Amino acid sequence: MKPKLHPMLRVARLFTVFALLAAPLAAMPSEGDTANLQTVDQDVQALKKQLIDLNRDLFKLEEELLYPASTQVAVFLSVDVGTFFALDSVTLKVDDKEVANYLYTDREVQALHRGGVQKLYLGNLKAGSHEIVAFFTGKGPHERDYRRGTTLVVDKTVGAKYVELRISDREASLQPEFVVRQWE
Amino acid sequence: MAAAIAVTAGVPAFAAPPALDSVAPDFALKAVDGRNVRLSEYRGEPVVLHFWAGWCGPCRESVAALDALGLSSGTPVLGVNLDGADRSAAVADSLHLKSPTLVDAQQTVARTYDVAKLPLTLLLDAEGHVRASWSGVPADLAELKPQLERLRLD
Repeated sequence: MKPKLHPMLRVARLFTVFALLAAPLAAMPSEGDTANLQTVDQDVQALKKQLIDLNRDLFKLEEELLYPASTQVAVFLSVDVGTFFALDSVTLKVDDKEVANYLYTDREVQALHRGGVQKLYLGNLKAGSHEIVAFFTGKGPHERDYRRGTTLVVDKTVGAKYVELRISDREASLQPEFVVRQWE
Repeated sequence: MAAAIAVTAGVPAFAAPPALDSVAPDFALKAVDGRNVRLSEYRGEPVVLHFWAGWCGPCRESVAALDALGLSSGTPVLGVNLDGADRSAAVADSLHLKSPTLVDAQQTVARTYDVAKLPLTLLLDAEGHVRASWSGVPADLAELKPQLERLRLD
């Protein structure tokens, strides 16, 4: 298996590759050589892909450094159908401290309806018991203003803790349902 | 005068709006028509961002002119009003504004943008970079229009 380079070394290598690619471009004759241009184009595309991969790796590295698994808590939001509730905003409190307040645009709500999952909050909590409270505001059945809170007490252990807030429709009562789930 | 009023309104003095070429901070606010508007959703086209309040005379003059510019050019003009939820709607209505009037009642966005003087107008390019700004005075349309045209052609 090929050993994975440290992201910083990959940055240095990419800069070198870019400099090597840029040099012949500057000296290229105006009429150009099609075969050469195709090769350069392929190299540029490969370089772009490497940059995207590197960006992803750096993002993951940043998350691992800022939010180590031993203290990491992430809260996600998803919406199932949403016939009985039009989401407007969510306020999230952890141990009575507001950590997130998100206002949803129409496009964002549509994305959630299409199955998107939003990372609402990513933070650190020490091991022990913590209270997570989410307040949902929006329009409920019959276009009425609707505000609902839901609470979950999580027992943070050494591993990362993932919490899902899910808005779904309760067909029997024609009301929205706000569910909080923990994922290990 | 505007700066003095801004200080009494709780906006920090000696602050500076985003520098030229910097990326304008993203935000989401509720518009007076009830919609939620996020700045980053306008990426891909130039945007005029305008901070104003109903008690500020030059702001009223400026917001009306920018609203007309937005209508005639098709450019999104986002007015961030600092009056408060109820008053924002009334002032926007009295000025017959067609462009979105966003309510920043808690002045959280104004603080993020370090609005020290009103009105503050920012011209943003398609990537959200600040290309021109006017602080404490109405935006100079003679300067703004050609810059906007250039950005639309880019």
